[in-house]
Amino acid sequence: MKQWMKIVAILAIAVLALGMMSACGKKNADFDEVVAKGKLVVGITDFEPMDYQDADKNWIGFDADMATKFAESLGLGVEFVEIEWDNKVLELDGKTIDCVWNGMTLTDEVKSAMETSNAYCNNAQIVVLPKANADKYQTAEDCKDLKFAVENGSAGKAVAEENNFTFIEVKDQASALMEVAAGTSDAAIIDSLMAAAMVGEGTSYADLTYTVKLNSEEYGVGFRKGSALAERLNAFFKSAWADGTMQTVAEKYGVQAALIEQK
Amino acid sequence: MNTFFEQFPIVFNALNVGFLQTMKLFAVTLLGAIPLGLLICFGSMSRFKPLSSVVRTIVWVVRGSPLMIQLLIVYYFPGLVLKTAIWGGGEHGRFIAASIAFILNYACYFSEIYRGGIQGVPHGQQEAGQVLGLSRRQIFFKITLLQMIKRIVPPMSNEIITLVKDTSLARIIALQEIIWAGQAFMKGSQGISGQIWPLFFTAVYYLVFSGILTILFSKLEKKLSYFKV
Repeated sequence: MKQWMKIVAILAIAVLALGMMSACGKKNADFDEVVAKGKLVVGITDFEPMDYQDADKNWIGFDADMATKFAESLGLGVEFVEIEWDNKVLELDGKTIDCVWNGMTLTDEVKSAMETSNAYCNNAQIVVLPKANADKYQTAEDCKDLKFAVENGSAGKAVAEENNFTFIEVKDQASALMEVAAGTSDAAIIDSLMAAAMVGEGTSYADLTYTVKLNSEEYGVGFRKGSALAERLNAFFKSAWADGTMQTVAEKYGVQAALIEQK
Repeated sequence: MNTFFEQFPIVFNALNVGFLQTMKLFAVTLLGAIPLGLLICFGSMSRFKPLSSVVRTIVWVVRGSPLMIQLLIVYYFPGLVLKTAIWGGGEHGRFIAASIAFILNYACYFSEIYRGGIQGVPHGQQEAGQVLGLSRRQIFFKITLLQMIKRIVPPMSNEIITLVKDTSLARIIALQEIIWAGQAFMKGSQGISGQIWPLFFTAVYYLVFSGILTILFSKLEKKLSYFKV
């Protein structure tokens, strides 16, 4: 028995020591590690117009193009990796990716788990519901009696909580829409940039529309906690804004109206 | 890209690519788990107590925890705890991590099926072998193993068909198998967005494939039926 406890104690100390080692002065260590690797691994999801594939399977979109330019400015290659959005912090801390650059809303949770860049794009959380009901629900107050579907851990969920809405959490924004289409929820709260692409004519959600804008929020890029890469990106954004690169890329993907000035 | 007929070829292509990944994981898991299961089976039946209790504990842990958690542990633990992501972030590393989790998980289930098969062979068969002067190795390979194979075909086919569908769990570590490919069109991919039908269409692939497996296994069963004891 004694022997057994000793082993547990030694293991516990070893884990603590490992943890402490990793906590000490890592600011540039992470940056150096990425440079040594020679490429910036960018965690994304397939999300038009920010990150999506062209006919030749190359990743394009506002975020993808900016990420490529940022990596070039550091003399690095770039690799895009599709991740499961729920696991973004795991992917970062597990070093399987170096940043999350995918129209990510800067929520308090994101800011506490990652080293985030300055905001670069405006977004909003909006209510999506069947067209037939759209007239009845034009303000947040009207929506109080609806049952909502929101993405697990998303900005949409935070807004639903603030407004004291009744809601259930589902896996992602696409599932939230499916809940509405299937009638299992009355309405969904999703990103406005995404709603514009996903509902209406020519989609499976032709009978859905979006009405109330519940908040306004901002997109940012997330790096590993304490990484110096975030500061590098802020500097890069500033110069890309000053020479107009950022605006040109934004116009290419139709997001120029949402862009935030970098200074 | 609004009509079903315009969308179908694009979706069909994407689902085929996803299904290829599903098939790869399925094949690699079988190739690894079938022999590894036999080793684990020997370990758990070993008369050397420390070995058999260690192996049985492993089988208990692996069978007693969700495969989804095992996938997360295999893929993320090296980076989170050891601070080096041995698998890397790319598709290749994710596939290797998924393969390891699946092989270990299925080997443990297979080992129990093997154990049942081996212990189900009547003891008289071994005694008959001893009477004929066969060595223990000969008795195992020429008498017990052969009869065990016949006995385990139904439970193995059960487990293998479950494996076909379990491969979809690998999407938790972003392995882009067929369900991932189908779901991509719910959000938007290759110019098609907000479509639900590709996700449900993936079920057709699973149905057809498990149908083929069912036919193969019933053929195999018939072929082995001359072993009737």
